[in-house]
Amino acid sequence: MPEYATPEAVAERIPDGALIGVGGAGLQRKPLALLRALVAAGRQELRVVSVLGSLDVELLLAAGAVGELHSAGVSLDSAGLAPHYRAAREQGSVRFYEWSEGTLLCSLEATARGVPSIPTWMARESDLPVLNGRILPGSDPFTGEPVVHVRALRLDFALLHLPDVDALGYGYVTGDLAFDGALARAADEVIVSFESEQASDPPRAALSRLWIDTLVPAAGGSWPTGCHPHHAVDAVAVATWSQAGREASVALLEPVA
Amino acid sequence: MTSESSQLADLLVAAVARDIAEADIRVFAVTTPASVVAGLAARDLGARQLALAAGFTALDGLPVPAVSLGEAGLLAAGQTFRDEPSDVFALLASGRAGVIATPAQLDSRGRTNLSAVGPLGHPTVALPGARGLPDHRSPSRVWYLLSAHSPRQLVERVDVVCGAEPPPDAVRRLFTPAGCFELGAYGWFARWLTPGGAALVADTPGLGITLSGSEPLVSAPDPEALGALERVDPWHVRWIEFASGAAAAALWADAAAREAAA
Repeated sequence: MPEYATPEAVAERIPDGALIGVGGAGLQRKPLALLRALVAAGRQELRVVSVLGSLDVELLLAAGAVGELHSAGVSLDSAGLAPHYRAAREQGSVRFYEWSEGTLLCSLEATARGVPSIPTWMARESDLPVLNGRILPGSDPFTGEPVVHVRALRLDFALLHLPDVDALGYGYVTGDLAFDGALARAADEVIVSFESEQASDPPRAALSRLWIDTLVPAAGGSWPTGCHPHHAVDAVAVATWSQAGREASVALLEPVA
Repeated sequence: MTSESSQLADLLVAAVARDIAEADIRVFAVTTPASVVAGLAARDLGARQLALAAGFTALDGLPVPAVSLGEAGLLAAGQTFRDEPSDVFALLASGRAGVIATPAQLDSRGRTNLSAVGPLGHPTVALPGARGLPDHRSPSRVWYLLSAHSPRQLVERVDVVCGAEPPPDAVRRLFTPAGCFELGAYGWFARWLTPGGAALVADTPGLGITLSGSEPLVSAPDPEALGALERVDPWHVRWIEFASGAAAAALWADAAAREAAA
Protein backbone atom coordinates (compact mmCIF):
# COMPACT_ATOMS: atom_id res chain seq x y z
CA MET A 1 0.00 0.00 0.00
CA PRO A 2 1.52 3.39 -0.94
CA GLU A 3 2.19 5.87 1.80
CA TYR A 4 0.50 9.27 1.85
CA ALA A 5 2.49 12.49 2.08
CA THR A 6 2.23 16.22 1.56
CA PRO A 7 3.98 18.10 -1.25
CA GLU A 8 6.28 19.66 1.33
CA ALA A 9 7.27 16.30 2.79
CA VAL A 10 7.96 14.97 -0.70
CA ALA A 11 10.14 17.97 -1.50
CA GLU A 12 12.25 17.24 1.57
CA ARG A 13 13.07 13.80 0.15
CA ILE A 14 14.24 15.07 -3.24
CA PRO A 15 17.79 16.43 -3.04
CA ASP A 16 19.52 19.05 -5.14
CA GLY A 17 20.76 17.55 -8.39
CA ALA A 18 18.17 14.75 -8.44
CA LEU A 19 17.07 13.39 -11.83
CA ILE A 20 13.29 13.84 -11.85
CA GLY A 21 10.84 12.74 -14.53
CA VAL A 22 7.81 14.98 -14.81
CA GLY A 23 4.60 13.40 -16.07
CA GLY A 24 1.78 14.74 -18.18
CA ALA A 25 2.13 16.11 -21.69
CA GLY A 26 1.90 19.64 -22.95
CA LEU A 27 -0.70 21.49 -20.90
CA GLN A 28 -2.23 18.34 -19.43
CA ARG A 29 -1.65 16.83 -15.97
CA LYS A 30 1.57 18.57 -14.97
CA PRO A 31 2.29 17.95 -11.25
CA LEU A 32 2.67 21.63 -10.44
CA ALA A 33 1.80 21.32 -6.75
CA LEU A 34 4.78 19.00 -6.31
CA LEU A 35 7.03 21.25 -8.39
CA ARG A 36 5.97 24.35 -6.45
CA ALA A 37 7.02 22.53 -3.27
CA LEU A 38 10.43 21.83 -4.78
CA VAL A 39 10.80 25.49 -5.66
CA ALA A 40 9.70 26.55 -2.15
CA ALA A 41 12.28 24.18 -0.69
CA GLY A 42 14.96 25.96 -2.71
CA ARG A 43 16.03 22.98 -4.78
CA GLN A 44 18.83 23.65 -7.25
CA GLU A 45 20.59 21.92 -10.13
CA LEU A 46 17.68 19.57 -10.67
CA ARG A 47 18.03 17.32 -13.70
CA VAL A 48 14.61 17.41 -15.30
CA VAL A 49 13.04 15.02 -17.80
CA SER A 50 9.81 16.32 -19.33
CA VAL A 51 8.95 14.53 -22.56
CA LEU A 52 6.55 17.27 -23.66
CA GLY A 53 6.89 20.17 -21.29
CA SER A 54 5.03 23.39 -20.68
CA LEU A 55 4.55 25.27 -17.42
CA ASP A 56 6.35 22.53 -15.48
CA VAL A 57 9.61 23.38 -17.19
CA GLU A 58 8.81 27.09 -17.18
CA LEU A 59 8.23 27.15 -13.39
CA LEU A 60 11.47 25.33 -12.59
CA LEU A 61 13.48 27.46 -15.00
CA ALA A 62 11.98 30.69 -13.68
CA ALA A 63 12.96 29.59 -10.16
CA GLY A 64 16.53 28.86 -11.21
CA ALA A 65 16.10 25.26 -10.08
CA VAL A 66 17.25 23.48 -13.26
CA GLY A 67 20.77 22.36 -14.09
CA GLU A 68 19.93 19.93 -16.87
CA LEU A 69 16.89 19.47 -19.08
CA HIS A 70 15.87 16.48 -21.19
CA SER A 71 12.89 17.04 -23.49
CA ALA A 72 11.42 16.49 -26.93
CA GLY A 73 9.65 19.83 -26.80
CA VAL A 74 8.45 22.59 -24.53
CA SER A 75 5.73 25.06 -25.49
CA LEU A 76 2.51 26.64 -24.32
CA ASP A 77 0.56 25.08 -27.20
CA SER A 78 -1.84 27.60 -28.73
CA ALA A 79 -0.62 30.28 -26.28
CA GLY A 80 2.74 30.26 -28.02
CA LEU A 81 6.35 29.50 -27.23
CA ALA A 82 7.72 28.98 -23.72
CA PRO A 83 9.72 32.12 -22.82
CA HIS A 84 12.05 30.78 -20.09
CA TYR A 85 12.76 27.62 -22.04
CA ARG A 86 13.67 29.66 -25.09
CA ALA A 87 15.92 31.92 -23.04
CA ALA A 88 17.66 28.97 -21.38
CA ARG A 89 18.48 27.39 -24.72
CA GLU A 90 19.51 30.63 -26.40
CA GLN A 91 21.73 31.64 -23.47
CA GLY A 92 23.02 28.13 -22.80
CA SER A 93 22.16 28.51 -19.12
CA VAL A 94 21.19 24.85 -18.65
CA ARG A 95 22.60 21.64 -20.09
CA PHE A 96 19.99 20.79 -22.71
CA TYR A 97 19.54 17.30 -24.12
CA GLU A 98 17.25 17.37 -27.12
CA TRP A 99 15.28 14.19 -27.70
CA SER A 100 12.45 13.09 -29.92
CA GLU A 101 9.33 11.65 -28.35
CA GLY A 102 10.26 8.19 -29.58
CA THR A 103 13.91 8.19 -28.55
CA LEU A 104 13.11 9.50 -25.08
CA LEU A 105 10.56 6.72 -24.71
CA CYS A 106 13.28 4.26 -25.78
CA SER A 107 15.63 5.58 -23.08
CA LEU A 108 12.99 5.03 -20.40
CA GLU A 109 12.10 1.60 -21.75
CA ALA A 110 15.77 0.61 -21.73
CA THR A 111 15.87 1.33 -18.00
CA ALA A 112 12.66 -0.56 -17.43
CA ARG A 113 14.06 -3.58 -19.29
CA GLY A 114 17.36 -3.43 -17.45
CA VAL A 115 19.54 -2.90 -20.52
CA PRO A 116 22.10 -0.12 -21.06
CA SER A 117 20.69 0.95 -24.42
CA ILE A 118 18.07 0.17 -27.03
CA PRO A 119 18.48 0.27 -30.83
CA THR A 120 15.87 2.07 -32.90
CA TRP A 121 15.24 3.43 -36.36
CA MET A 122 14.05 6.72 -34.93
CA ALA A 123 16.25 9.82 -35.20
CA ARG A 124 18.41 8.17 -37.87
CA GLU A 125 20.12 10.75 -40.09
CA SER A 126 18.85 13.57 -37.92
CA ASP A 127 20.95 16.07 -35.96
CA LEU A 128 19.83 14.66 -32.60
CA PRO A 129 23.02 12.62 -32.07
CA VAL A 130 24.99 15.86 -32.39
CA LEU A 131 22.78 17.57 -29.83
CA ASN A 132 22.43 14.68 -27.41
CA GLY A 133 25.31 12.42 -26.44
CA ARG A 134 22.90 9.75 -25.25
CA ILE A 135 21.83 9.05 -28.85
CA LEU A 136 24.51 7.28 -30.86
CA PRO A 137 24.41 6.20 -34.52
CA GLY A 138 25.59 2.64 -35.07
CA SER A 139 24.63 -0.56 -36.77
CA ASP A 140 22.66 -3.65 -35.97
CA PRO A 141 25.05 -6.50 -35.03
CA PHE A 142 23.03 -9.09 -36.96
CA THR A 143 22.22 -7.33 -40.21
CA GLY A 144 24.57 -4.38 -40.29
CA GLU A 145 21.60 -2.10 -40.87
CA PRO A 146 22.10 1.46 -39.62
CA VAL A 147 20.36 2.04 -36.32
CA VAL A 148 20.52 4.54 -33.49
CA HIS A 149 21.44 3.37 -29.99
CA VAL A 150 19.61 5.18 -27.21
CA ARG A 151 21.19 5.08 -23.77
CA ALA A 152 19.07 4.20 -20.76
CA LEU A 153 18.00 7.06 -18.51
CA ARG A 154 17.34 6.01 -14.92
CA LEU A 155 15.26 8.49 -12.98
CA ASP A 156 15.66 9.11 -9.27
CA PHE A 157 12.04 10.18 -9.00
CA ALA A 158 8.97 10.27 -11.23
CA LEU A 159 6.50 13.01 -10.31
CA LEU A 160 3.03 12.42 -11.76
CA HIS A 161 -0.40 13.98 -11.35
CA LEU A 162 -3.41 11.72 -11.91
CA PRO A 163 -7.12 12.50 -11.80
CA ASP A 164 -8.02 9.69 -9.40
CA VAL A 165 -6.60 6.96 -7.23
CA ASP A 166 -8.32 4.32 -5.13
CA ALA A 167 -7.80 3.07 -1.61
CA LEU A 168 -5.60 0.25 -2.89
CA GLY A 169 -3.28 2.70 -4.57
CA TYR A 170 -4.23 2.18 -8.23
CA GLY A 171 -4.16 5.25 -10.49
CA TYR A 172 -6.95 6.16 -12.93
CA VAL A 173 -6.66 8.38 -15.99
CA THR A 174 -9.63 9.11 -18.24
CA GLY A 175 -7.57 10.91 -20.88
CA ASP A 176 -4.14 10.27 -22.34
CA LEU A 177 -1.71 8.51 -20.00
CA ALA A 178 1.04 9.87 -22.28
CA PHE A 179 4.47 8.74 -21.01
CA ASP A 180 3.56 8.44 -17.34
CA GLY A 181 3.72 4.65 -17.35
CA ALA A 182 7.17 4.67 -18.90
CA LEU A 183 8.38 7.31 -16.43
CA ALA A 184 7.10 5.23 -13.52
CA ARG A 185 8.84 2.09 -14.73
CA ALA A 186 12.15 3.95 -15.17
CA ALA A 187 12.18 5.62 -11.75
CA ASP A 188 13.56 4.51 -8.40
CA GLU A 189 10.66 6.21 -6.62
CA VAL A 190 7.27 7.24 -7.98
CA ILE A 191 5.29 10.05 -6.37
CA VAL A 192 1.73 10.63 -7.54
CA SER A 193 -0.36 13.64 -6.66
CA PHE A 194 -4.06 13.24 -7.37
CA GLU A 195 -7.35 15.08 -7.50
CA SER A 196 -9.69 12.67 -5.70
CA GLU A 197 -10.23 9.11 -4.56
CA GLN A 198 -12.63 6.84 -6.38
CA ALA A 199 -14.09 3.40 -5.84
CA SER A 200 -11.62 0.66 -6.55
CA ASP A 201 -11.83 -0.85 -10.06
CA PRO A 202 -8.36 -2.28 -10.84
CA PRO A 203 -9.24 -3.63 -14.33
CA ARG A 204 -9.87 -0.04 -15.43
CA ALA A 205 -6.80 1.43 -13.76
CA ALA A 206 -4.15 3.11 -15.90
CA LEU A 207 -1.26 2.67 -13.49
CA SER A 208 -0.84 -0.27 -11.17
CA ARG A 209 -0.20 0.28 -7.47
CA LEU A 210 2.95 -1.79 -8.05
CA TRP A 211 4.57 1.29 -9.56
CA ILE A 212 3.40 3.88 -7.07
CA ASP A 213 5.34 4.57 -3.89
CA THR A 214 3.78 7.74 -2.51
CA LEU A 215 0.38 9.37 -2.93
CA VAL A 216 -0.13 13.08 -2.41
CA PRO A 217 -3.69 14.43 -2.16
CA ALA A 218 -3.69 17.62 -4.21
CA ALA A 219 -7.01 18.78 -5.64
CA GLY A 220 -6.21 21.28 -8.37
CA GLY A 221 -2.61 20.13 -8.14
CA SER A 222 -2.00 20.44 -11.87
CA TRP A 223 -3.29 24.01 -12.11
CA PRO A 224 -3.06 25.86 -14.44
CA THR A 225 -2.56 22.80 -16.65
CA GLY A 226 -5.61 20.63 -17.13
CA CYS A 227 -6.65 17.36 -15.52
CA HIS A 228 -9.52 15.72 -17.38
CA PRO A 229 -12.26 15.30 -16.23
CA HIS A 230 -11.72 17.42 -13.10
CA HIS A 231 -10.67 20.71 -14.65
CA ALA A 232 -9.64 22.13 -17.99
CA VAL A 233 -6.52 24.14 -18.77
CA ASP A 234 -6.73 27.64 -17.28
CA ALA A 235 -6.23 29.41 -20.59
CA VAL A 236 -6.14 32.85 -18.95
CA ALA A 237 -3.30 31.87 -16.61
CA VAL A 238 -1.36 30.31 -19.48
CA ALA A 239 -1.86 33.41 -21.62
CA THR A 240 -0.76 35.63 -18.73
CA TRP A 241 2.46 33.67 -18.43
CA SER A 242 3.01 33.85 -22.17
CA GLN A 243 2.42 37.60 -22.29
CA ALA A 244 4.82 38.21 -19.40
CA GLY A 245 7.52 36.61 -21.53
CA ARG A 246 10.95 36.32 -19.99
CA GLU A 247 9.78 38.48 -17.07
CA ALA A 248 7.27 35.79 -16.01
CA SER A 249 7.96 34.93 -12.37
CA VAL A 250 7.01 31.98 -10.17
CA ALA A 251 4.45 34.16 -8.38
CA LEU A 252 2.27 33.95 -11.50
CA LEU A 253 1.94 30.23 -10.92
CA GLU A 254 0.84 30.49 -7.30
CA PRO A 255 -2.83 29.45 -7.07
CA VAL A 256 -5.14 32.14 -5.78
CA ALA A 257 -7.20 30.83 -2.88
CA MET B 1 -11.94 36.82 -41.38
CA THR B 2 -11.88 37.48 -45.09
CA SER B 3 -13.79 35.21 -47.39
CA GLU B 4 -10.49 34.69 -49.22
CA SER B 5 -8.79 33.08 -46.21
CA SER B 6 -11.85 31.02 -45.30
CA GLN B 7 -12.06 29.75 -48.89
CA LEU B 8 -8.37 28.89 -48.72
CA ALA B 9 -8.91 27.01 -45.45
CA ASP B 10 -11.76 25.05 -47.02
CA LEU B 11 -9.73 24.28 -50.12
CA LEU B 12 -6.70 22.97 -48.24
CA VAL B 13 -8.46 21.10 -45.43
CA ALA B 14 -10.80 19.47 -47.95
CA ALA B 15 -7.83 18.39 -50.04
CA VAL B 16 -6.07 16.91 -47.03
CA ALA B 17 -9.26 15.14 -46.02
CA ARG B 18 -9.62 13.61 -49.48
CA ASP B 19 -5.96 12.54 -49.38
CA ILE B 20 -6.35 10.90 -45.98
CA ALA B 21 -9.49 9.11 -47.10
CA GLU B 22 -7.64 7.63 -50.08
CA ALA B 23 -4.51 6.68 -48.11
CA ASP B 24 -4.18 3.11 -46.93
CA ILE B 25 -3.74 3.87 -43.24
CA ARG B 26 -5.45 2.73 -40.06
CA VAL B 27 -4.62 5.63 -37.78
CA PHE B 28 -4.35 9.34 -38.43
CA ALA B 29 -2.57 11.39 -35.78
CA VAL B 30 -4.25 14.77 -35.36
CA THR B 31 -2.26 17.74 -34.12
CA THR B 32 -4.44 20.82 -34.63
CA PRO B 33 -8.17 21.60 -34.78
CA ALA B 34 -8.00 21.79 -38.59
CA SER B 35 -6.36 18.38 -38.69
CA VAL B 36 -9.18 17.02 -36.50
CA VAL B 37 -11.60 18.36 -39.10
CA ALA B 38 -9.59 16.74 -41.90
CA GLY B 39 -9.56 13.39 -40.12
CA LEU B 40 -13.27 13.44 -39.37
CA ALA B 41 -14.04 14.50 -42.94
CA ALA B 42 -11.90 11.64 -44.26
CA ARG B 43 -14.16 9.27 -42.36
CA ASP B 44 -17.17 10.98 -43.88
CA LEU B 45 -15.61 10.57 -47.33
CA GLY B 46 -15.39 6.82 -46.99
CA ALA B 47 -12.60 5.91 -44.59
CA ARG B 48 -15.16 4.70 -42.05
CA GLN B 49 -12.73 2.61 -40.02
CA LEU B 50 -10.01 5.23 -39.76
CA ALA B 51 -8.89 5.72 -36.16
CA LEU B 52 -8.04 9.23 -35.03
CA ALA B 53 -5.25 9.36 -32.47
CA ALA B 54 -6.16 11.68 -29.61
CA GLY B 55 -2.97 11.24 -27.60
CA PHE B 56 -0.13 8.77 -27.12
CA THR B 57 -2.30 6.17 -25.42
CA ALA B 58 -5.66 7.03 -26.98
CA LEU B 59 -5.15 6.06 -30.61
CA ASP B 60 -8.78 5.46 -31.44
CA GLY B 61 -10.59 8.52 -30.15
CA LEU B 62 -13.62 10.37 -31.41
CA PRO B 63 -12.55 13.99 -31.13
CA VAL B 64 -14.60 17.06 -31.95
CA PRO B 65 -13.20 20.14 -33.70
CA ALA B 66 -12.49 22.46 -30.77
CA VAL B 67 -10.07 25.20 -29.79
CA SER B 68 -10.50 25.37 -26.04
CA LEU B 69 -11.67 21.97 -24.85
CA GLY B 70 -8.23 20.41 -24.74
CA GLU B 71 -8.33 16.79 -23.73
CA ALA B 72 -12.12 16.92 -23.35
CA GLY B 73 -12.39 17.80 -27.03
CA LEU B 74 -10.10 14.97 -28.07
CA LEU B 75 -12.08 12.50 -25.99
CA ALA B 76 -15.55 13.80 -26.70
CA ALA B 77 -16.90 10.28 -27.01
CA GLY B 78 -15.50 9.28 -23.64
CA GLN B 79 -12.70 7.00 -22.57
CA THR B 80 -11.12 4.97 -25.35
CA PHE B 81 -9.14 1.77 -25.49
CA ARG B 82 -5.84 2.41 -23.76
CA ASP B 83 -2.87 1.80 -26.05
CA GLU B 84 0.79 1.60 -25.07
CA PRO B 85 2.77 4.71 -26.01
CA SER B 86 5.13 2.53 -28.05
CA ASP B 87 2.16 1.56 -30.24
CA VAL B 88 2.43 4.95 -31.96
CA PHE B 89 5.92 4.16 -33.14
CA ALA B 90 5.07 0.57 -34.03
CA LEU B 91 2.25 1.82 -36.25
CA LEU B 92 4.57 4.36 -37.84
CA ALA B 93 7.20 1.70 -38.51
CA SER B 94 4.61 -0.56 -40.13
CA GLY B 95 3.31 2.18 -42.39
CA ARG B 96 -0.18 1.89 -40.93
CA ALA B 97 -0.22 5.34 -39.37
CA GLY B 98 -0.36 8.74 -41.02
CA VAL B 99 0.73 11.96 -39.39
CA ILE B 100 0.06 15.60 -40.04
CA ALA B 101 2.78 18.03 -39.04
CA THR B 102 3.54 21.74 -39.06
CA PRO B 103 7.31 22.16 -39.00
CA ALA B 104 8.93 25.55 -38.58
CA GLN B 105 11.16 24.73 -41.55
CA LEU B 106 10.74 22.23 -44.39
CA ASP B 107 13.47 21.87 -46.97
CA SER B 108 14.14 20.83 -50.54
CA ARG B 109 14.89 17.21 -49.54
CA GLY B 110 11.95 16.83 -47.20
CA ARG B 111 13.89 17.43 -43.99
CA THR B 112 12.08 19.20 -41.18
CA ASN B 113 12.95 21.41 -38.22
CA LEU B 114 11.03 22.43 -35.13
CA SER B 115 14.03 22.81 -32.84
CA ALA B 116 15.80 26.08 -33.50
CA VAL B 117 17.06 28.65 -35.96
CA GLY B 118 20.77 29.34 -35.99
CA PRO B 119 23.99 27.35 -35.65
CA LEU B 120 23.58 23.75 -34.52
CA GLY B 121 23.61 23.62 -30.71
CA HIS B 122 23.78 27.41 -30.41
CA PRO B 123 20.30 28.61 -31.33
CA THR B 124 19.69 32.25 -32.02
CA VAL B 125 15.97 31.49 -31.89
CA ALA B 126 14.89 28.48 -29.86
CA LEU B 127 11.69 26.80 -31.02
CA PRO B 128 9.67 24.14 -29.16
CA GLY B 129 11.96 21.20 -29.93
CA ALA B 130 12.18 18.21 -32.23
CA ARG B 131 9.00 16.64 -30.83
CA GLY B 132 8.06 13.65 -33.00
CA LEU B 133 9.65 14.81 -36.24
CA PRO B 134 12.70 12.49 -35.93
CA ASP B 135 10.30 9.57 -35.47
CA HIS B 136 8.65 9.96 -38.89
CA ARG B 137 11.48 8.39 -40.86
CA SER B 138 9.34 5.51 -41.92
CA PRO B 139 7.13 4.48 -44.84
CA SER B 140 4.19 6.13 -43.09
CA ARG B 141 2.49 9.02 -44.79
CA VAL B 142 3.15 12.52 -43.56
CA TRP B 143 1.12 15.52 -44.56
CA TYR B 144 2.35 19.05 -44.02
CA LEU B 145 -0.38 21.66 -43.79
CA LEU B 146 0.93 25.22 -43.69
CA SER B 147 -1.13 28.40 -43.57
CA ALA B 148 1.56 30.34 -45.48
CA HIS B 149 3.87 29.61 -48.40
CA SER B 150 6.81 31.48 -46.94
CA PRO B 151 10.52 31.55 -47.87
CA ARG B 152 11.29 31.62 -44.13
CA GLN B 153 9.54 28.30 -43.65
CA LEU B 154 10.23 26.60 -46.99
CA VAL B 155 14.00 26.56 -47.35
CA GLU B 156 16.82 24.87 -49.22
CA ARG B 157 18.25 23.35 -46.04
CA VAL B 158 16.84 23.35 -42.52
CA ASP B 159 19.00 24.77 -39.73
CA VAL B 160 18.51 21.69 -37.54
CA VAL B 161 17.63 18.33 -39.07
CA CYS B 162 14.85 17.03 -36.83
CA GLY B 163 13.07 14.95 -39.43
CA ALA B 164 15.57 13.32 -41.79
CA GLU B 165 15.21 12.96 -45.52
CA PRO B 166 12.42 10.41 -45.98
CA PRO B 167 13.09 6.98 -47.47
CA PRO B 168 12.34 6.68 -51.21
CA ASP B 169 9.06 4.84 -50.72
CA ALA B 170 7.62 7.35 -48.25
CA VAL B 171 4.82 9.66 -49.32
CA ARG B 172 5.22 13.26 -48.21
CA ARG B 173 2.67 15.84 -49.32
CA LEU B 174 2.70 19.54 -48.63
CA PHE B 175 -0.41 21.73 -48.68
CA THR B 176 0.05 25.50 -48.66
CA PRO B 177 -1.77 28.53 -50.07
CA ALA B 178 0.23 27.85 -53.26
CA GLY B 179 -1.23 24.40 -53.79
CA CYS B 180 -0.37 20.77 -53.23
CA PHE B 181 3.18 19.46 -53.61
CA GLU B 182 4.76 16.03 -53.33
CA LEU B 183 8.29 14.93 -52.63
CA GLY B 184 9.60 12.79 -55.46
CA ALA B 185 12.93 11.27 -56.36
CA TYR B 186 14.15 14.62 -57.69
CA GLY B 187 12.63 16.87 -55.07
CA TRP B 188 9.30 18.57 -54.59
CA PHE B 189 6.91 18.92 -57.50
CA ALA B 190 3.48 20.50 -57.82
CA ARG B 191 0.45 18.23 -58.01
CA TRP B 192 -1.80 21.24 -58.44
CA LEU B 193 -1.65 24.97 -57.87
CA THR B 194 -4.01 27.59 -56.54
CA PRO B 195 -4.66 30.54 -58.89
CA GLY B 196 -1.92 32.59 -57.21
CA GLY B 197 0.26 29.59 -56.51
CA ALA B 198 2.86 30.03 -59.25
CA ALA B 199 3.86 33.43 -57.90
CA LEU B 200 4.19 32.06 -54.39
CA VAL B 201 6.35 29.21 -55.66
CA ALA B 202 8.59 31.71 -57.45
CA ASP B 203 9.04 33.59 -54.18
CA THR B 204 10.27 30.48 -52.38
CA PRO B 205 13.18 29.29 -54.53
CA GLY B 206 14.80 27.38 -51.66
CA LEU B 207 12.32 24.55 -51.92
CA GLY B 208 13.53 23.93 -55.46
CA ILE B 209 10.19 23.52 -57.18
CA THR B 210 10.28 23.93 -60.94
CA LEU B 211 6.92 24.46 -62.58
CA SER B 212 6.17 23.11 -66.03
CA GLY B 213 3.32 25.50 -66.63
CA SER B 214 0.89 22.66 -67.14
CA GLU B 215 0.01 22.08 -63.49
CA PRO B 216 -3.74 21.90 -62.85
CA LEU B 217 -5.24 24.97 -61.22
CA VAL B 218 -7.62 24.35 -58.34
CA SER B 219 -9.57 27.26 -56.91
CA ALA B 220 -12.29 25.55 -54.87
CA PRO B 221 -12.75 22.30 -52.99
CA ASP B 222 -14.67 19.55 -54.66
CA PRO B 223 -18.30 19.75 -53.52
CA GLU B 224 -18.33 16.33 -51.90
CA ALA B 225 -15.30 17.12 -49.73
CA LEU B 226 -16.67 20.55 -48.84
CA GLY B 227 -19.93 18.91 -47.81
CA ALA B 228 -17.98 16.58 -45.55
CA LEU B 229 -16.23 19.55 -43.95
CA GLU B 230 -19.52 21.26 -43.28
CA ARG B 231 -21.01 18.13 -41.75
CA VAL B 232 -18.13 17.53 -39.32
CA ASP B 233 -17.33 21.20 -38.65
CA PRO B 234 -20.44 23.34 -39.05
CA TRP B 235 -18.83 25.90 -36.71
CA HIS B 236 -15.86 26.51 -39.10
CA VAL B 237 -13.22 25.85 -36.49
CA ARG B 238 -10.96 24.99 -39.42
CA TRP B 239 -10.86 28.64 -40.50
CA ILE B 240 -9.09 29.85 -37.37
CA GLU B 241 -5.63 28.52 -38.26
CA PHE B 242 -5.75 30.32 -41.59
CA ALA B 243 -6.83 33.68 -40.18
CA SER B 244 -4.43 36.18 -38.67
CA GLY B 245 -4.37 39.06 -36.25
CA ALA B 246 -7.64 40.42 -34.92
CA ALA B 247 -9.72 38.19 -37.19
CA ALA B 248 -8.09 35.07 -35.77
CA ALA B 249 -8.53 36.32 -32.20
CA ALA B 250 -12.21 37.05 -32.81
CA LEU B 251 -12.83 33.63 -34.35
CA TRP B 252 -11.00 31.96 -31.46
CA ALA B 253 -13.01 33.87 -28.87
CA ASP B 254 -16.29 32.99 -30.58
CA ALA B 255 -15.35 29.32 -30.72
CA ALA B 256 -14.20 29.28 -27.09
CA ALA B 257 -17.42 30.92 -25.93
CA ARG B 258 -19.54 28.44 -27.87
CA GLU B 259 -17.57 25.51 -26.46
CA ALA B 260 -17.85 26.84 -22.91
CA ALA B 261 -21.61 27.14 -23.28
CA ALA B 262 -22.02 23.65 -24.74
